[in-house]
Amino acid sequence: MARKTPVLKVTNLKKAFGPVVIVDGFSLEVAAGEAIALTGRNGAGKSTVLRCLVGADRADEGTVEVNGTRVSETNPEIRRDVATVIDDIDFFPDLSVVEHLDLLARAHGIPDADAAVDEVLHEVQLVPQSGQLPSTLSSGQLRRLALATAFIRPRKLLVLDEPEQRLDTEGVEWLADRLVEERRRGLAIVMASHDPTLVQKVATRTIRLGDRAEVLADE
Amino acid sequence: MSKKSRKLIRSTPVAGEAEAEVEVEAVVPAAPERTFFFLPDAPPLEVDEHELHGLMKLWRHGRATRSIGQVLQDSYVMLFSVVMIGAMVVSVVLRAQGNMAGCSTDACASGRLLVPTAMVLACFAVALGVARLFGPVLASAAEGFWLMDAPISRRRLLRGRLVLPLLLSFLVAGLGTALVGALSGLAWAQVLAWSCAAALGSAGLVSLAASEQTRERVVVVKVLQAVFAAAALAVLLVVVSVAAGWLPTTFVAVAEPATWLFAGVAAAGLIGMVVLLQLTVARLEEIRRARLVSGGSLVAGMQGAMFALDFGLIRDILVERRMAEKGHVKPTRGRGLGLAALVWRDVERLKRQPSAFLGLGMSLFVPYAVDALRMSQLNPFISGLALVAGLVPFLGSMRVLSRTGGLARTFPFKTAQLRTATMAVPAMLALVWGLAATPAFIGIASTGADRSIISGLSVALVTSLAGLMGAVRWVTAKKVDYQTPMMATSSGALPPGLIFNLFRGLDMVVLITAPLILQLPAYWSLVIGLIVFWALRGSFNMADLQAEQEQAKRELAEAKEGRGEKQKIPRPGR
Repeated sequence: MARKTPVLKVTNLKKAFGPVVIVDGFSLEVAAGEAIALTGRNGAGKSTVLRCLVGADRADEGTVEVNGTRVSETNPEIRRDVATVIDDIDFFPDLSVVEHLDLLARAHGIPDADAAVDEVLHEVQLVPQSGQLPSTLSSGQLRRLALATAFIRPRKLLVLDEPEQRLDTEGVEWLADRLVEERRRGLAIVMASHDPTLVQKVATRTIRLGDRAEVLADE
Repeated sequence: MSKKSRKLIRSTPVAGEAEAEVEVEAVVPAAPERTFFFLPDAPPLEVDEHELHGLMKLWRHGRATRSIGQVLQDSYVMLFSVVMIGAMVVSVVLRAQGNMAGCSTDACASGRLLVPTAMVLACFAVALGVARLFGPVLASAAEGFWLMDAPISRRRLLRGRLVLPLLLSFLVAGLGTALVGALSGLAWAQVLAWSCAAALGSAGLVSLAASEQTRERVVVVKVLQAVFAAAALAVLLVVVSVAAGWLPTTFVAVAEPATWLFAGVAAAGLIGMVVLLQLTVARLEEIRRARLVSGGSLVAGMQGAMFALDFGLIRDILVERRMAEKGHVKPTRGRGLGLAALVWRDVERLKRQPSAFLGLGMSLFVPYAVDALRMSQLNPFISGLALVAGLVPFLGSMRVLSRTGGLARTFPFKTAQLRTATMAVPAMLALVWGLAATPAFIGIASTGADRSIISGLSVALVTSLAGLMGAVRWVTAKKVDYQTPMMATSSGALPPGLIFNLFRGLDMVVLITAPLILQLPAYWSLVIGLIVFWALRGSFNMADLQAEQEQAKRELAEAKEGRGEKQKIPRPGR
């Protein structure tokens, strides 16, 4: 199968915290329509890799490129192309659920923001909570809101850190279907997950991180 | 559990302990059928609330690593400094009291009565606000989880908790009012009357808040708080009006009755405190655990933030709590696309925070009051600081977008664009504030500033720019980085950022207003202000620049390696 142009290209990524090397020599290419699942035990470096991919952490060595542009968290092109749901997401304490989505849709220049917000709000099943402030949402609802912020906006690469966390069974099923649909539409996905069902359903490649990165399956 | 604690617990003097031990030895069979005991080799003790407190104290004592003597020995420099500074403050206060008492004009006499009166009313409002925020009766999360479940009397466990808030309100209000009274030039008998009124009145109001807490009501406390705050503001307005000559100075005539009035307030506060305390203690048994633990967790969060001197985090905790209480808002539709959507959302937000306008309005009194008090030279600095406090609530978007990178990453804009957009609405407010404060900088009182309209307007605008930049600096403050090299101090090693946290916001106001204070032309301040704006909007990001530099070095090294040039290998150290 001919390789497509990579949306994400990681070359020899190295990240250490003091003397502890978390990941070393990690390379990866993700093309449009591919979904990569990072698996591995706790502390294997999944979240660290994802944080380096989106520019939240700076790699000690190696390069990360999205569509040929070196990743920097403050680069607006990267911000436009990469949608992330990792642990450092924050919310405006005085804006309701629907206002968060409305603001994000408008900031990304979506012309019919109202329709887009309604659609995503229904999909993540937060319609009854649309007027609630984030501090009153349950952890599962907060996770749904975080996922909604990724789905409301245009994106070429989706980076998710354990997206199934705190979701109920029905929610995980919905997420898996949605990610498969995203992948089929040509979105590149990189996610870390501990849920084998989600990984099996969504991922086209699985990389187990541990002592040494290992490609387990290739579609 | 430490050996010392275990030993102390065993030796805890419990009534009838000796007899109990004898009985245990006599009654307990040789092979007792014990499944669980707190201590494996001792019979279980029935403890009451008092003993439980004693036990907790003993455990804490057992875990202490340093004695009080060692702590004092280690911080002797700080103690010495505190004593020295305290002595200097007292000396300055005494001298200022003497000077102010020397001013015998009607305007001085009126101000002398009104300023401490405003302070008393402000103390009442603050005491009620803080008491409502924390409880005032509270318990830690651990106590709520472990102790409140036990079959013990909450009244007996919690009644001691009332002492600290009462004592704090008494001391802070009393000392604060005494200081303001002395600085205003009140006679010592009057200082005593005003400060007793503030101290006992505040303590009485805290008792009222505690009594309302046991009834799960907040309406009375909220209404009283608003009334006292409005009254304090009104009195301050009168002070400014009298100083500016807009109101007659007839307050001098009521000096004698006012002293008696405040003595009466003090007596009423004392009686109220005693009566309400009785009622509160009687109802402590019914107080809900959630209501107690909520205040305790707030204190714990704020304590953590205080250790890092992270005032921004303290404000975040309070905002989060207020929003959790509010819970729900009527959603409004946004407008515009791109950065305009962010600006419009900030405009929409203004409707949701009327209390922030109250703060901004109060800060507008400051330039007038400072001018009326004949301190026009320092007016830009003092008013700039007041404006920082007034503008911070309007910079909520900027605060959230800068405290973690997560939310900022979801917006397709540069950091500088985001900051500029979130500064737009506060900048408009600062501009309006500057225009409204212009008369104060031109000069309202005969002894105040005497500037032309253009000069006064430019000083007012520079002050509003200083206030805005100070507020931006305050909300964008980063957390203290404990991974940086530490500074050696008499209190132990401290990260340098911890100290600088104290001056965030203040530094920008000093920087921008310094030329005005030094009587240089206003355009110097304007130029400095524009440079500060350029830096604070994130035009240059040090982390990005550093990364780019490192990247360039790495690429250069790679290129050299590719060309086969000799690489210098550092000699190993001997």
